[in-house]
Amino acid sequence: MINPYLLFGLLVVGGVGVTLALPRRGVNPQVLGAGVAGLAGGLLMLFLGLNAGTEKIPNIFFYLFAAVGLGGALRVITHPRPVYAALYFIMTVLASAGLFLVLSAEFMAFALIIVYAGAILITYLFVIMLATQAPEEGQEDVLADYDTQANEPIAATVVGFVLLAALTVMLFKGTGALPAPAKTIPDVLLADMPRKVERLLGTNGIMAKGDVIDRADWVKGMVEITTSGGEKIILDRASNTLNAVGADGTWSVLKQHAWPEDLRVTNAELLGFNLLRDHPGTIEIAGVILLMAMLGAVVLSRKQVQLDDDAKQARVTQLAQADPSFDAGSESPIELVQQPASSLEEAAR
Amino acid sequence: MMNLTLAQSGFPEVMSQVTLGHYLVVAAIMFVLGMIGFLTRRNLIIMFLCTELMFQAAGIALIAFGRYHLDFSGQTFVIFVLTVAAAEAAMALALIVLLYRRKESLNAEEWKDLEG
Repeated sequence: MINPYLLFGLLVVGGVGVTLALPRRGVNPQVLGAGVAGLAGGLLMLFLGLNAGTEKIPNIFFYLFAAVGLGGALRVITHPRPVYAALYFIMTVLASAGLFLVLSAEFMAFALIIVYAGAILITYLFVIMLATQAPEEGQEDVLADYDTQANEPIAATVVGFVLLAALTVMLFKGTGALPAPAKTIPDVLLADMPRKVERLLGTNGIMAKGDVIDRADWVKGMVEITTSGGEKIILDRASNTLNAVGADGTWSVLKQHAWPEDLRVTNAELLGFNLLRDHPGTIEIAGVILLMAMLGAVVLSRKQVQLDDDAKQARVTQLAQADPSFDAGSESPIELVQQPASSLEEAAR
Repeated sequence: MMNLTLAQSGFPEVMSQVTLGHYLVVAAIMFVLGMIGFLTRRNLIIMFLCTELMFQAAGIALIAFGRYHLDFSGQTFVIFVLTVAAAEAAMALALIVLLYRRKESLNAEEWKDLEG
């Protein structure tokens, strides 16, 4: 799909960009790095599109959401402040939901926003607030060392982009060898949803008022419906028509109707049937996983934890430096069982 | 014969292999960004955010494949990815709070020697 030398060249440029964008001490060319990485990503997409020809490329929303999502992802891994990283991750989640919409997976798009942006990320924000110290009064908010300095940025980026090179080469080879894409979803599920079909046929005037569907079967690619009025209706997607046969059963009274536009299996219905009929056991497993996680989280967070010896020592020296009259011996044993920092200071005074 | 695609307006066109390739490239880039973040950042919370980023990328790839084959097992898989991500976030964050109480730091390197 794309010349391999060009691909590898762009990946090298992208890797250099990501390395520059990672946080470091001293000269920190984050904006430049993000620009270089973004340029490489944009060129990669451009060449992919040029090679494919204009009629095959995805629509404009794909490019929009992909750019926002990847930009957010880059910012998640490069922003020194955890809160901002979490907020940028929400941006990535929203962009992914947009991509899901373009892929006509509406249910998953909204489930993603509700579960990820609504629940998981809020939990993250809570923990960030629980596990960071507010700057003490009169002190400037300084970032911790481990936030401002990335660990081995060059080695990690090399590893990552070698993996990316392997992945993209395999992907371009593999997608060409896939079987032809599926064209339509068969209407077999319509036979399993007689009430919905009944409602739609009734509102479109195809079925007589007050009639209900007695049985619906999937026969040779068509849905055969028998109504309580003795009428027989055949939904034939291939010719896009509905044929109704009168109660006397002769084809001479056969009536043809256009296919109502709403008469199709929607995304949520397809997903529901797939989830609950084709994979019923997995739901149970998911429930058990969630229950165990909940129990685990409750048990873990109830535990009383003491500061370990190193941290205790560091805290004592810090307090002693802040206040020369503080004497670790006089108040011993210092109550360092988990307490907010403010009560610790009161103990020091 | 009328236009087949008209009736199934939810799925207006066949997804080409080229389009699938675009989505997979985006998923691959996002996954690798998450991996680089996990390897380089030293803040425990950001490391777990990076794993979530990798889950996202896997989800995009699964849904793109599902759309290509019009097979909804792809979306079912993403539901379970979401479940596992939620379970993982709950456990990981409980652990992080516990670790923070002990060392008053989120630095992953503080925990380089652990004793049972």
